Amino acid sequence: MVIDYKKELEAAAKSMILVHEPDVLIRMIVRMIVQKVEVEHAGILLHQKEQDSYILTVSRGSAGLKIPAGFARVDTDNALIRFFKEHKDKDLFGDGMLVLEAARNLLEKDIAVELKELLQQALYQMEIFEAVVCIPSYFRDELLGILILGSKKGNEKFAQDELDFFTALASDVAMAIRNAQLFSELELELDKKHRLFIHTTIALAAAIDAKDHYTHGHTARVTSLSLEITKRFLQKNKKALDIKFLEDVNIAALLHDIGKIGIPESILNKEGPLSEEERKRMQEHTLIGVTILQPIRELEQAILGVKCHHERYDGTGYPEGLKGGQIPLIASVISVADAFDAMITDRPYRRALSKEEASEEIKRGSGGQFDPEIVSILLELYREGKI
Amino acid sequence: MPKLLIVDDELDVREFAANFFRKRKVEVTTAVGGEEALSILDNFKPELVLLDIKMQGINGIETLKRIREKDKDLKVIMVTGKKPDEDGSLNICQQLGVLDYIHKPLELAELEKIVMGALK
Repeated sequence: MVIDYKKELEAAAKSMILVHEPDVLIRMIVRMIVQKVEVEHAGILLHQKEQDSYILTVSRGSAGLKIPAGFARVDTDNALIRFFKEHKDKDLFGDGMLVLEAARNLLEKDIAVELKELLQQALYQMEIFEAVVCIPSYFRDELLGILILGSKKGNEKFAQDELDFFTALASDVAMAIRNAQLFSELELELDKKHRLFIHTTIALAAAIDAKDHYTHGHTARVTSLSLEITKRFLQKNKKALDIKFLEDVNIAALLHDIGKIGIPESILNKEGPLSEEERKRMQEHTLIGVTILQPIRELEQAILGVKCHHERYDGTGYPEGLKGGQIPLIASVISVADAFDAMITDRPYRRALSKEEASEEIKRGSGGQFDPEIVSILLELYREGKI
Repeated sequence: MPKLLIVDDELDVREFAANFFRKRKVEVTTAVGGEEALSILDNFKPELVLLDIKMQGINGIETLKRIREKDKDLKVIMVTGKKPDEDGSLNICQQLGVLDYIHKPLELAELEKIVMGALK
């Protein structure tokens, strides 16, 4: 059967676009070689950074010839690896592969003793793997893997277009591995940045708690309650778990009182009722919070939560007196969580309420201070013993 | 011809290793587990047993113990997927007198050297 290798390569390239995991891709490539070219067996040795060793990870072919995945390894000081790492393939054969027959012929010729020795040892490794052709996969100067091919069924010689086909596949393997590596490095980097961001936010939140003696641990509790409420809200409204929104709620809840940094401690920690002037000053903390966070463009949604968490459903809240549906959901959630936690902790002017009393109190505020939908979720969570 | 018994519950490993050593002029029989290995032992009388540690049913260590009840001197090489002594099995194997303890993935040239050396 004559195979149009160009066509096969095109088909392979098309499927490669769809496959992002290198493991899947490499398995696909090895399977294709065994099926299309009808070799006895084919496998690939892949560099594993942790062990600094090349491990036969994928292999297919006839029983007894197919080497079980994970069974064999080749260390970096192995002649086969050294041969390719030192680019002897290019020096000796020009085409970046090691073909058993050509290499044997070369051994008959007059070549440098050291090179001859290395080639002999490399050929011995090939014999052990029953390989007839070995094709390296490089990325720049790094040897990522070696494609190992057994003899063709019927012991025919490989045609040049077949060898070219393998070379093209080997470079696809390299590309796939490299892409996957880059992708996971990028993910790691993003993850690191993200964690840094969250920790910075938590540190900021701790700064507020440190200033306001009566709210010790308040921020953490409001945050976890807000997240619980949001999850239930999304569930009830049949919305898939919206990670981005949860993230915004997390940040907004952590930072909802960040503006208190700009309020004098004498007001924050005052025992007894605030004067009208002090109360107005205290209310400024929502807009101070906005001013602090405004430069961070990524926090657009979270800032809405910070700004509006003292708005009231009936329109009598601050800073803008928004009403009902005008109030961003993120703010309605924090508003309920904030009030509930304030009620169940001691304040200078009153003792803490029980959770039962607090939930009754929140219920009374439904439609007045609070969004009824959020109130009903809080009561539900309370009844279920989740808070 | 020297005789080798390969015990492994993975078909691919049995087929590959059997083929590998048959080509090196070794008479090979394979067993899928400890039970089968023990039943083969008396008739086949191998010079060497290549014994996988992690197997379904009777594992390699247990099989080794039972082999030792029958034959104190039979050469046994243990094969493990774990790093040397990660699970403490190296120690037990040494006490039970094994010739070698090798772990997968292995260098085929090394496997050849160890097994062929033991069969000489």
